[in-house]
Amino acid sequence: MSVTLAWAMVASSLALVVVRRRSMAIALVAAQSLALGVYALAHAHAAGAAAAGATLIVKGILLPGLLLIAVRRSRKRRPIATEPPAFTRLALAAALALAIEQLAPALGLPNASLEHAAIGVFALGVLLAATRRAVLFQALGFLVVENGIYLAALPLHGGLPAPIELGLAFDLIVTMSVAAAFATKIHERLGSGDSSLLEALRD
Amino acid sequence: MTEALTIAVPAAALLGAMFVHLARTPAGVDRANVLAASLTAALALTVSALGIVNGGEAIRGSWFVLDRAGASFLAVIATVGWLSALTSPAFLAGEGRGLFTARRARGWYYTGFHVFWATLLALPLVDNLAIAWLLVEATTAASALLVAFNGRPHALEAGWKYLVLTTFGLGVALLGILVLFVALAPHGGGLSVLDWRSIAAHAPHLPHGSVEVALILILAGLAAKIGWAPVHNWLPDAHSEAPPPVSALLSAALLPTVMLIAWRVTLTLGAAAPHHLARTLLIGFGLASLAIAVPFLWRSMPWKRLLAYSSLEHMGILALAIGFSNPLATAGLLIHLAGHAIAKSLGFYAYLPIGRHSPDSARRAPRGLTRSSGAVAAAAGVSLATLGGLPPSPLFFSELLILLGGIVAHQAVVVAIAAVLIALAFLGLAHALIETLAGKGSGRPWQAGRTVRLTRRLTVAAVIGLLALSAGAYLLIDSHASTTLMAGVS
Repeated sequence: MSVTLAWAMVASSLALVVVRRRSMAIALVAAQSLALGVYALAHAHAAGAAAAGATLIVKGILLPGLLLIAVRRSRKRRPIATEPPAFTRLALAAALALAIEQLAPALGLPNASLEHAAIGVFALGVLLAATRRAVLFQALGFLVVENGIYLAALPLHGGLPAPIELGLAFDLIVTMSVAAAFATKIHERLGSGDSSLLEALRD
Repeated sequence: MTEALTIAVPAAALLGAMFVHLARTPAGVDRANVLAASLTAALALTVSALGIVNGGEAIRGSWFVLDRAGASFLAVIATVGWLSALTSPAFLAGEGRGLFTARRARGWYYTGFHVFWATLLALPLVDNLAIAWLLVEATTAASALLVAFNGRPHALEAGWKYLVLTTFGLGVALLGILVLFVALAPHGGGLSVLDWRSIAAHAPHLPHGSVEVALILILAGLAAKIGWAPVHNWLPDAHSEAPPPVSALLSAALLPTVMLIAWRVTLTLGAAAPHHLARTLLIGFGLASLAIAVPFLWRSMPWKRLLAYSSLEHMGILALAIGFSNPLATAGLLIHLAGHAIAKSLGFYAYLPIGRHSPDSARRAPRGLTRSSGAVAAAAGVSLATLGGLPPSPLFFSELLILLGGIVAHQAVVVAIAAVLIALAFLGLAHALIETLAGKGSGRPWQAGRTVRLTRRLTVAAVIGLLALSAGAYLLIDSHASTTLMAGVS
């Protein structure tokens, strides 16, 4: 696995924390997924090729397409004001991701540099959901987290077993379809995709 | 034969999800739902009976394992699912347009319900950690749609929180499974290396660091789905906003079933972890859940929200039972699982008439039910008294067994703290019980409509079931059943 590619994934995950347009964010996640998928397909043995190909199609093409439809159905009428400024988000995400990466115990992956990058992408996926207020960005956080795990699994001999990869791809389709339906409905009912409007239920 | 039956159980529920769309009228859809649910429950209870009567040996197949623990959980999921399917028509009778258009809402509700139930039914049977994870993740999508079914902003908020928090939690668990898979790779890199027996056999030979990291990540990730504190934030919202039959399925079936997976992980992987790590984690989750639930049980809460915080309390007690890990605590766990399922689902079903007759009940605690409806008051009373652990409730005996199990496990301090917290929870629920039954309410009697009649029948069935469980507690203490429950993992 190219270490440059792995760190490019970290950089694109950081970019997601600051990027303004939802369509641009979807394009970044799609690019991540496509890069991972192409690498997996190129290095897969015969049995794993089908699973890698299916994952590539699902994560690189189907899911971004689904999310773009959700974006088209919920045109932003106003920017989300409750979000911290981009530089603050970037500083916060970078600092926390670095801290998590340093504090995380060794996972025992074959390549230490790749392990650091994978933990970084995973942490940035979680932080993306925590620092962005738009529900669509929170949904994209799932995909980035999953990309981090996929990145960690790539250098394993033969990757993850094919049934798990196919199951994961199916679960992702279902979960992201539901997330896209929620994003559309929330926008329809509240007039905005701002998740800070979803804080009425408190005790 | 057994293999075919185990495949038929989730398959019947999945077919039910499609079958309901064949009916042309709302009444026809309701009948199709009841028919499909009855067939599914009958199959599941047959498989469950096979697992229980088979004795201490697990029945294994190409993809499944049927031991007494799995069979017991399967029986609970089948029963609660069937009752929720039976009560769903009464709920839908009062619903209009929500997340779906009014014309399509009924069919989609049943589709989501049967898909959710099918994944739950498959979970106790699967013989592989990775497949179990995929099924747990699959429960999220269907149940999130059901939580937000009425489409109101509060329901959307609850459904979204549930989807986000549990999906990220399960992401953490998946990372843990990957760490375990990497560690197990020298013992074979295929899917079967994550079978329960394979994990149990190889775990003692794995590096301690990998076992520790995998165990922490998997248990912490599953905790988000079980609703163990401090990762429980979605639980009160989802349980209170979901339709009552779905709330029952979430609380009485989903939470314990995911806990079964955590239990199997503890027994297979936890045994190899140094410094009693699994026990420490589970006791930590258990005490945190109890401590966080108690203050909310003392407050005046809307009915379903009160039941949701009670779920947090009871999942905490079950975490302690798994953590103590001895026959006494395990016997308590089984009784607690079944007693909690009956009492909690009765409580949620009782909300059908409460919600229908008191429109503000979603935001306020019900008061003076005895003056409004004797049948509903009886259901609410039985539910809260049982959940509080009032003797002769089976939960009184199960809590006693679990605490005794803690003493046997040399966890006297934990037992003392847990006993105080359980007593405080009891006082909170006792106060809620008195206010609900005899507090100052509208005093207007309700008409004995469909939901009230349904609640009356369910209360009679629940009382019989609860008394039988209390009697069963005496039988389980001296039996070997609790020591051979988890034959599937060894």
